[in-house]
Amino acid sequence: MDTRMLWIQLVAVMVKEVRQTVRDKRVMFLLLVMPLVQLIVFSYAVNFEVDDVPTVVVDRDDSAASRRYVAGLLADGTLTEVARAGDEGEAERMVEADVAKAAIIIPRGLSRDLARGRPAQLQVVMDGTDPTRAGVAAGAVSRYFGEVALDLALERLRIRDAALGTTTRVPGVRMEPRIAYNPRLITAVYMVPGIAAMLVLMITTIVTAMGLAREREMGTLEQVLVTPIRPAVLMVGKLAPYVVVGLLDVALAVTVGAWVFEMPIRGDLTFLFGATALYLMSTLGIGLFISTASTSQQQAFMGGFLFILPAVLLSGNMTPIHSMPDWLQPVTWLNPLRWYIEIVRGNLLRGAGAADLWPQLVILAVMGMGILVVASMRFRKRVV
Amino acid sequence: MNPPATAPDHAIVVEDLSRHYGPFRAVDRVSFHVERGEIFGWLGANGAGKSTTIRMLCGLLQPTSGDATVAGHRISRDPEGVKRSIGYMSQKFSLYLDLTVEANMEFFGGAYGIPRRPLRHRMEEIVGLTGLAEYRGATTGQLPGGIRQRLALGCAMLHRPEILFLDEPTAGVDPVSRRDFWRLIRRLAGEGTTVFVTTHYMDEAEYCARIGLMVDGHLVALDDPAGLKRVHVPGRVLDVRGEGLVAALPTAREVPGVMAAEPFGAGVHVRFDTGTCDDARVLGALREGGARVAGAEPVEATLEDVFLAVVARGKEWE
Ligand SMILES: Nc1ncnc2c1ncn2[C@@H]1O[C@H](COP(=O)(O)OP(=O)(O)OP(=O)(O)O)[C@@H](O)[C@H]1O
Ligand SMILES: [Mg+2]
Repeated sequence: MDTRMLWIQLVAVMVKEVRQTVRDKRVMFLLLVMPLVQLIVFSYAVNFEVDDVPTVVVDRDDSAASRRYVAGLLADGTLTEVARAGDEGEAERMVEADVAKAAIIIPRGLSRDLARGRPAQLQVVMDGTDPTRAGVAAGAVSRYFGEVALDLALERLRIRDAALGTTTRVPGVRMEPRIAYNPRLITAVYMVPGIAAMLVLMITTIVTAMGLAREREMGTLEQVLVTPIRPAVLMVGKLAPYVVVGLLDVALAVTVGAWVFEMPIRGDLTFLFGATALYLMSTLGIGLFISTASTSQQQAFMGGFLFILPAVLLSGNMTPIHSMPDWLQPVTWLNPLRWYIEIVRGNLLRGAGAADLWPQLVILAVMGMGILVVASMRFRKRVV
Repeated sequence: MNPPATAPDHAIVVEDLSRHYGPFRAVDRVSFHVERGEIFGWLGANGAGKSTTIRMLCGLLQPTSGDATVAGHRISRDPEGVKRSIGYMSQKFSLYLDLTVEANMEFFGGAYGIPRRPLRHRMEEIVGLTGLAEYRGATTGQLPGGIRQRLALGCAMLHRPEILFLDEPTAGVDPVSRRDFWRLIRRLAGEGTTVFVTTHYMDEAEYCARIGLMVDGHLVALDDPAGLKRVHVPGRVLDVRGEGLVAALPTAREVPGVMAAEPFGAGVHVRFDTGTCDDARVLGALREGGARVAGAEPVEATLEDVFLAVVARGKEWE
């Protein structure tokens, strides 16, 4: 068959697919409005910003200095004192009883130890069920005491210099813990790449999964199959429009992220869209695979959902991969979502390109090819 | 049965074609041929295997055994060649209900690889032929049944196929639309297209040049309508009107020479051998059975009579 004919057939399938999509109000809603709504709702709702961690304070030192430390600790609003306790045991019980999420225990003699430059120990008890929160809260505590210790050290140097008439030049180092790439810890900025990846997955996978099932259910597949159109042409024609939709959704997410949430765009957008195309091979391939395994639209929808749910949970977007159980972590290797999110984050927030992200790119390409090949083989079989 | 001829005037040659579903034989060793340019009727009761036969000939279904040549292409070896040369209207309406009439035509035209300009031109022709001009922009799902069937036919012949397979094209269509539809089919056949058609309407079957009759997966009769009537419903058929006729049928069947006596429309049909029986004896028997005869006249046997006779015999032979 000559290429002209293949091209005519391909265009016919694509045009038909677009026409059906445009005429279907529900699908249009799914493709255009849903992403916007989800982007905004998710970004605001999944609040990783750590504020107001209810904290119980145990001040065994009970000195002017320790009171100053406590006040300083609470000053930035990360931790909020909700109770006082007499000893460690009581404080831990309060954390267990969920009265507080954190406990700060200042031992007897802390101010004396710090003043003499002796190692001082301070205990912080955290409710680890929320690792992100716990980590940030613990960071706030150590940051604060790091600063206190540095202040004290400098002060002692000054006293000594004054007594001995010497000058010690202290390099102007000051520990200033800085959260890289997202300094204000704005959750939305961190979330947008993940949400973009999720949206593309949901839309392209479910819509392609249902596409073939709909044709089978409506009986239109039979009419298509008596034409000399080849399964491969039919498949490419059906998928191609959703590649465009996927790219548009990513563009939409990036735009909203930059505009509404002031997300930086440090990377090269051409690179981002190239990577998205690789990612789409996987999501469309999975959709196609599901559609070959379903006899009705309902089955296809359920199938899509059954894939998307674990894929989202195991993407590292909601729960960091290193806080997952050891046996579960390797599973995330098989998740295209994980690699794509790493690429988008790296690209947008850090400005990383192929030199940095090539492993992720290679994994996505290999995975996408594999899935597409298997799915199209099944498609051929199911269709002929 | 038929010699496996591949003569150039044979549009379709079927050889020992079978399709089994497990132990069930939906189509069982069927052989026949269809001549170029004829309207070939494929009749049978529900579940007789008509659609299964058509779907195999269109390359939609793999035969369990046997083979066929359609428009010069073996269905086993060259299904793509078959698909290029045929048009198919499936029993269940299978165009896109959510697209407009034009969009459906454009899609199927494209699927057959027809370039834009020729397709435009061809669509004009089809729209004129099928009388769809006023429905071009209408959503297919909102069209009445008769119009939909015309569109389905139109889409099936966009690529000027040599052979059209029409699986119950007039099912559920009103009588006027049915007549229009058949006028179109006859016109196409007149222009040289071979039409392979199934139907449940025996009046439509009269339009067919030849008819194959299927019973439970077997081809049990094949001939032109007149030949079928001669062989399967010989003798004279008397159409009798009156009251209490049906109750008197058993009495009429007792008369020597009477081959069949069945209810038909408002009256009854009694068929008898003119050598051993005559009108007076039949009417006498009916009166004897308690009927009041208001009138009687001889009628042509219908294909309905043929169908009933053949199916009844098929059941006995089972
Ligand atoms: N996929 C299948 N699996 C099992 N049996 C099937 C299958 N498809 C068809 N059959 C059976 O094969 C027989 C013939 O079916 P077919 O559709 O060819 O009948 P038909 O003559 O077209 O009947 P109708 O007038 O109802 O359209 C039927 O008894 C049907 O139940
Ligand atoms: Mg049928």
